Order: sequence, then structure tokens, then C-alpha cells
Amino acid sequence: MAYRPLLSLSILLLVVWLSGCVSMATDRLANNLSQAMLNQTDPEIVRSGAPAYLLLLDSLIAQSPDDQGLLFAGARLYGAYAGGLVSDNQRQQKLTEKALDYARRGLCPETPELCQALGAPFEKFSLALAEVDEEEIEGIYLYATSWAGWIQAHSEAWSAVADLPKAEAMLQWVTAKDPAYDNGRAQLYLGVIGSQVPPTLGGRPEVGRQHFENAITYSHSRDLMAKVEYARHYARLVFDKPLHDRLLKEVLEADPVADGLTLSNVMAQQMAAKLLQDDYF
Amino acid sequence: MLTRLFTLVLLALIALPLSAATTLKIATLAPDGTSWMKQMRSAAKQIEKETEGRVKLRFYPGGVMGNDNSVLRKIRVGQLHGGAITGGGLSSVYPDAQVYTLPFQFRDLQEVDAVRRVMDPLIIEGLHKAGYVSFGLSEGGFAYLLANTPVQTTDDMHNLKIWIPEGDEINARMFKALGIAPIPLPMTDVMTGLQTGLIDTIASSPIGAIALQWHTRVKYLTEVPLAYLYATLVITEKSLARLEDADRSVVTRTLQETFSKLDAQNRQDNRQALDALQGQGIEFVEPSLSQRQEWEKHANTMLQALSDKGLFDAAMLKQMQQLIQAARSTSANL
Repeated sequence: MAYRPLLSLSILLLVVWLSGCVSMATDRLANNLSQAMLNQTDPEIVRSGAPAYLLLLDSLIAQSPDDQGLLFAGARLYGAYAGGLVSDNQRQQKLTEKALDYARRGLCPETPELCQALGAPFEKFSLALAEVDEEEIEGIYLYATSWAGWIQAHSEAWSAVADLPKAEAMLQWVTAKDPAYDNGRAQLYLGVIGSQVPPTLGGRPEVGRQHFENAITYSHSRDLMAKVEYARHYARLVFDKPLHDRLLKEVLEADPVADGLTLSNVMAQQMAAKLLQDDYF
Repeated sequence: MLTRLFTLVLLALIALPLSAATTLKIATLAPDGTSWMKQMRSAAKQIEKETEGRVKLRFYPGGVMGNDNSVLRKIRVGQLHGGAITGGGLSSVYPDAQVYTLPFQFRDLQEVDAVRRVMDPLIIEGLHKAGYVSFGLSEGGFAYLLANTPVQTTDDMHNLKIWIPEGDEINARMFKALGIAPIPLPMTDVMTGLQTGLIDTIASSPIGAIALQWHTRVKYLTEVPLAYLYATLVITEKSLARLEDADRSVVTRTLQETFSKLDAQNRQDNRQALDALQGQGIEFVEPSLSQRQEWEKHANTMLQALSDKGLFDAAMLKQMQQLIQAARSTSANL
């Protein structure tokens, strides 16, 4: 029987793009724009406004092709836009391809050995990852999340699905260095990935559950997407309706306004309302 | 009296559509969101629409109802009406359901197609006699040996810790007769077994190896099909018999169409997944023809002994082997 893991890491990327380190001249503009989008309560405004910023970033990167800050900002924004705001799969594929390319160009000059091992067998890749210096945490995190977004957009292709353990290993590397990284978003990714395989087939969703709990704790319960994904992936996988409904109701009752998380929280509430209406259980 | 009659009529009116609605509860190992579940949910929607809500399918995905054996147990006690079960799992209700999964029978998919054209209906008929209606078989693909050292001969297997599914008596005997002690484990423990080194060799279809991430723990794939895997959706005859004829036809037609699509899709998926394994740096090794023939001969001697013991019907195996031989000689003559 065909089993193809569903990855819905999509909207998670929205907050990953909380950009800090865009190069000097554009620093303030980029940050202000990012914050303005992330604090927006109307996703439609961001959906129609973001492409202009994508073009701006492309042109800045074309001017300074080796600027790590710009490349990382590009990876963040393309990944976020593709995952959270675009529904056409073909567009998602192209946009996540670009995000991954920017992440690679930003990371690889610093970690050439790891980058050579990206396509190597898992064991060799793991050894190279273990050698990476802790200060590369931002690059590793961005590469891992861009990769996860790319895999999701290409989840019809088994060659993409086969890469998932590597993206997961990079996220585990991040949380081993800093469990609270990105306000718990790294944990949230691991929660989703860890809740794909049911226990009957050898999966360990309890590990996924712990990551979701960590994500909620590290975001001080402000990140509503953590609860939505917890319900959608873990609670549904283990058929825990009380947990599912409780989490989603908490999301609907919460105030979505939280610095840097408002847009994601508004979208989380929209998703929670839909999930509660589903006749799943 | 009049009032009472009126109430009865009203009750009858209210009760009619309610009692006419049937919900079929179906368990599957596939988690929600997989292509398998998407197809099944879309079939359920179509059935509900075409029967105007009289027949609903309720799914229990992701193995929440347990493995094949516990799903079959729950079907027997009436807690479930059906489930997606593997060929191996169905052997407990109909022993010959496992005929395709017997070791070292097929060499390629052309042989599979030649056999399935003739024998799928026989398996479906056998299941029906056992009280289960199948809506068609869906390919799971060939299981290959995946190991950390290249396996091209029987000798190469001697130092390996080979996993076999718990309760798989046929493969246990086959390996033992080759002088190898396999390690039986439930499916739930395979990944942990690979991580801890309790086992280092597995048999899996390419899609299974990737979906369950077993591919991260092995380096070599032996390019010999060990067994042909399949699954089918069965619903008990008893629960289908409760449906109106027209509704039953809708259920049958829709599920048959869905299974035919899944069957074709899985073939493509396994081809792709095999390429993906190679892309992940897993090395493919090919044993010599004489070694393959030796394994086939060994398996057949053992299967003969098992069919003598009544583990399955020798006639079914013989028919399958004759069809394989016919397909083999046709392709040799081309």
C-alpha cells in the first residue's frame, strides 16, 4: 500500500522569515517590511503585497550575490511565501526551489564539507553535520526549513521524500544546540515530522508530541500555529479527539495579536475553524 | 387513537431515512493525508453523494485500530465492517491469499501481470467464500533485501542479522533451511532494531523503505524480488448484504475503480522510489543467475513441504508457477 508522508510544514515558514540580519543599507527597510507583514492581521494584504518585496530582494541579491544576510532573507521570504500564501503546487515547487537555492548559497561557503555531503548516504551526511560549528545555527536552520518546504512542495516525488530524514537531522542538530531556537519553531517542525508515521508502523509519535509541547512552552503559548499543527498531526494520527478539539478551541479563543506572530496566528485561527468542522473522528 | 396513529406515521417518516443510512467503519494503516487516504476519502464522498447519504464510509486511518490481525479480530466481533489488509495478513482468514507473497516466485513485473490477470479473481473469490468482499488488489511492489554489506550469495547472508516479520513462518523456515537464523520482530520494532543494531538487514518494498525511513540505515539493495506484496480493501459480506442492491452497486463500482487507480499509482511510485534509493547512494547489487535459480529451487522445495502440511493449497501455487513459466518462456522467445 502506498504510503507517502504528508508534510504540511507550510505556514510554519511564515515566522521563520522574522528576518534580522539583512545587510547594512537595506537592514532597516527589510526589517520594517518583515515586521509589518508579520504583524498584519489581514493575510490577503500580505498575499498581494509580498511579491513586490520578493522582487526587491531578488534585485538586491543580484547586486550582492554573496551577501549572506540577503541570501538568508531571500530564503526566508521565498519559503514563507510559497508555503503559507501560495496554493498552486507548481508555483510552490518553483518558489521553494529558489528559497532552497538562496539558503544553499548562504550556508555553503561556511560549511563546504556538509554541502558536499548533502546528496551522500545518510550516515556520511550525519557525520559531516556533526562536524559543523555551532555558530552556523542560523544557516543550518534556514537550510533545513527551506529544504522541508521544498520537500513538501515536491511530496509527489519519492526522491524528495527520501531527503526528509536529512532535513530532520539538521533540525535536531539545531534543537540540540538551542532547544528554544526561533521561539520554538524548530521544535514545531520536528513535531510535524515526528507525527507522520503511526505507531503500528514503527513511528514514535510520542516524540512528535514532546516537540509540540516544547514548541508551545518556548513560544510562551503565543504561537497558535503550534497548537493547530499539534492537533492536525499528532492528535489526528493517534485519534485523540478530546486533545484535538481542546487545542483548536484554545486557538480560536486566543488573542491572535502577538509581536512577530500576528499574521501566522490569524491564519492558524482560520485553519483551526476549518479543522473543527471536518468530520474526521 | 387517531393521535396515536398520527404519531406512528410521523415516527415512521422520521425513522425511515435514519434507519436506511448505513455507516461502514473501515480501518487502514495508511495515515490521513497519504495519497491512499486521499483516494479513499474521495471514493467515500462519491458513494455518499450517489447513494444520497444512505451509505457512508468512516475511516480509522494510521493504524489506530491496530495491525492486520487486530483489525480482522475487530471485524469478527462487529466493531469494524472492513479494513485494508495485506495479502500476508489475510492468510489467517483465507490461507491462499498469501500465494503472491511466497518467496522467490516472480522475477519481474511482467510475470506478475500475467499471473494477476488470471489469479486475482480466484483470490477475490476465495476471500468471498470466507465472508469478505474485496474490491480489487492493489500492488505493494516487490520486497527487496536491504543490507549494510552486499548480498549476492547465500554465504553473504551468514553473518547478517536479518529481520523477518513476527509470525512469518514461511520465511522463518526458508532462512533456517539455508542455515541462517533470522530475527522475528513486529513491524513496530524494525526502526529501533536497525538503530540499535539488533537487526541490520530487512526486506521491504522501495516505497516502504523510504516512507518508514529504513533507507537511512542500509547501504545495499539486492536486485532480486523476494516476494510480491499487495493489499486489498475487504468489507464483510454480512455488512454489504444490508444495503439496497442499487446502493451496493455504487459501493462496489466506486471502490473497484479506486483500487484500480491505486494499483497503477503504486507501480509508478515503486519505480520512482527505487530510483530515489539509488539517488540516496544505496548501491544495487545483482546476484548471478545461477544463484537466483538456486534460491528459487530452495524456496520451492520448502514450499512443497509446507503445502503438504496444509499451510496453503498446493494447487494454487502450482497454477501460479505454471503461469509464471508460461510468461517466462514467452518473453524468452521474444
